Amino acid sequence: MSSDDKYKEVIKREMVKLTKPVKLKAFTSQGVEADGRKIQTCMDCGQFMTLLRIYEENSNGMVTIEELSIDDNPEFTKRYDIQRVPTVLFIDDNGREIIRYLAAPQGQEIQPFIQAVFAFAGAPNYYEATIKNNLGRIEPSTIKVMITNTCPYCPQMVSVANLFAIAGEGKIRSVIVDISANLDIGQYYDAAGVPYTIVNDQKAISGLVGPEVILRALIGGNIRVQY
Amino acid sequence: MFNIDQGMPDPDKLYDVIILGGGPTALGSAIYAARFAMDLLVIGKTYGGLIASTHVVENYPGITSVSGTELMEMFRDHINSLNIPYITDKINSIEKEEDHFLLKSVFMSFKARSVIFATGSERKKLNIPGEDDYAGKGVSYCATCDGPFFNDKVLAVIGGSDSAAKEALFLAQHAKKVYIIYRGEEIRAEPINKKRVDNNEKIEIINNTNITEIKGEESVKAVIFENGHKFILDGVFIEIGSIPNSEVAKKIGVQVNEKNEIIINRKSETNIPGIYAAGDVADAPFKQAITGVAEGVIASYSAFDYIKSKK
Repeated sequence: MSSDDKYKEVIKREMVKLTKPVKLKAFTSQGVEADGRKIQTCMDCGQFMTLLRIYEENSNGMVTIEELSIDDNPEFTKRYDIQRVPTVLFIDDNGREIIRYLAAPQGQEIQPFIQAVFAFAGAPNYYEATIKNNLGRIEPSTIKVMITNTCPYCPQMVSVANLFAIAGEGKIRSVIVDISANLDIGQYYDAAGVPYTIVNDQKAISGLVGPEVILRALIGGNIRVQY
Repeated sequence: MFNIDQGMPDPDKLYDVIILGGGPTALGSAIYAARFAMDLLVIGKTYGGLIASTHVVENYPGITSVSGTELMEMFRDHINSLNIPYITDKINSIEKEEDHFLLKSVFMSFKARSVIFATGSERKKLNIPGEDDYAGKGVSYCATCDGPFFNDKVLAVIGGSDSAAKEALFLAQHAKKVYIIYRGEEIRAEPINKKRVDNNEKIEIINNTNITEIKGEESVKAVIFENGHKFILDGVFIEIGSIPNSEVAKKIGVQVNEKNEIIINRKSETNIPGIYAAGDVADAPFKQAITGVAEGVIASYSAFDYIKSKK
């Protein structure tokens, strides 16, 4: 079995266990062929959507991925500040963006993506109680995690950032960026190593750190965490 | 691969054993604890441990050659086939209560009859100016993670161990030139890897040299040698050994040696009944994934015996 086939099998095996509905939005760029068919016009969008459909098709109808062309949906595009495609958003019931993926959830990144889908659907989240207890001391925050698909330690940082965001009641947002596919973002942050985590565009954390380090960065300083 | 069914740990449950760590030692230990039908929980920071970042592993019996990442996935498959619960967290303190230990992290507290330290080690830092400033900007501790950022660049690996040689060999697949900068006379790589280094035209060894500073602008541009010479390059990979993660163990009174390694006997027992240690955090003179796994397995067996004697 090739590694691609193995990963597909994992998606199928795990997604079928989802019992609550989850809606995700995928922003792509689409054009219309002469025969009226819609096609993706951005280079990576076709492959990206094919991957996302594997998650959707194996979820017993629980996952719905709404593909929105930025050309046909200027209002959404503006509202969620979509600056590049493909982009996947986890948006909560209040319309707040919780997780943004500028990275294909493939290879080792399958795990944190599925974990996020399940937690977003209400599955138990290990960090939830502590995050909620400390929300009063956390300003609206963004955790950006720079990754590549070959980095062995990135999935753990992605997992923590996403689970924090899901527990954050709209106050915490995670943004997952594959900097091998978004070179300009990596260059903007001078990131030449992964995982590279930036909290609120201020505090940069190089390498893999424990979840408590991210929590302290969110709270600010070395304040004793309430638990 | 992973298994979403692992669920949440239970703070009220009294676990038979809690295994601290996420590398081969911890996972090997967990597999045996599960086979002994112990109630267990694994709490680790790094799934796969340091070996996950190893370019190629060629000395694990039964597997001729595998990348560290693939080996980690094989461990994960095995762990998941046994439904062993694993969480990403760091235990900050352990207290002895009447018949059990209380383990606390920032996120939760746990109770266990026994504890196995398989917490491994952290990469040692050079502690020189520029090292922290350029972390993730040309200073790296993981060639597998960051090597692909340095295509056609000039790099240095600092250190003279077998790991340093392997890092250099991996980086040479991407870089234009890789210098191994070592403070000693001759690098200490295993003969098979020393030969590979010697035969690789892209790799050059600079012996008897310390670096005192890392310089750069937005990213690394040079290192300064002890003699003041400025050496131009694009990235520095630091591989000068590791420091055992034994701080939490020390706080509860576990005995360590002068290197801060936990002192264990042939049963992986520490000086405190119910607390065991294995792998890179322990005091074995030769540390490999295979030796760590063996110590971890023995630790599980000893913990099993200990709990049986208490029930």
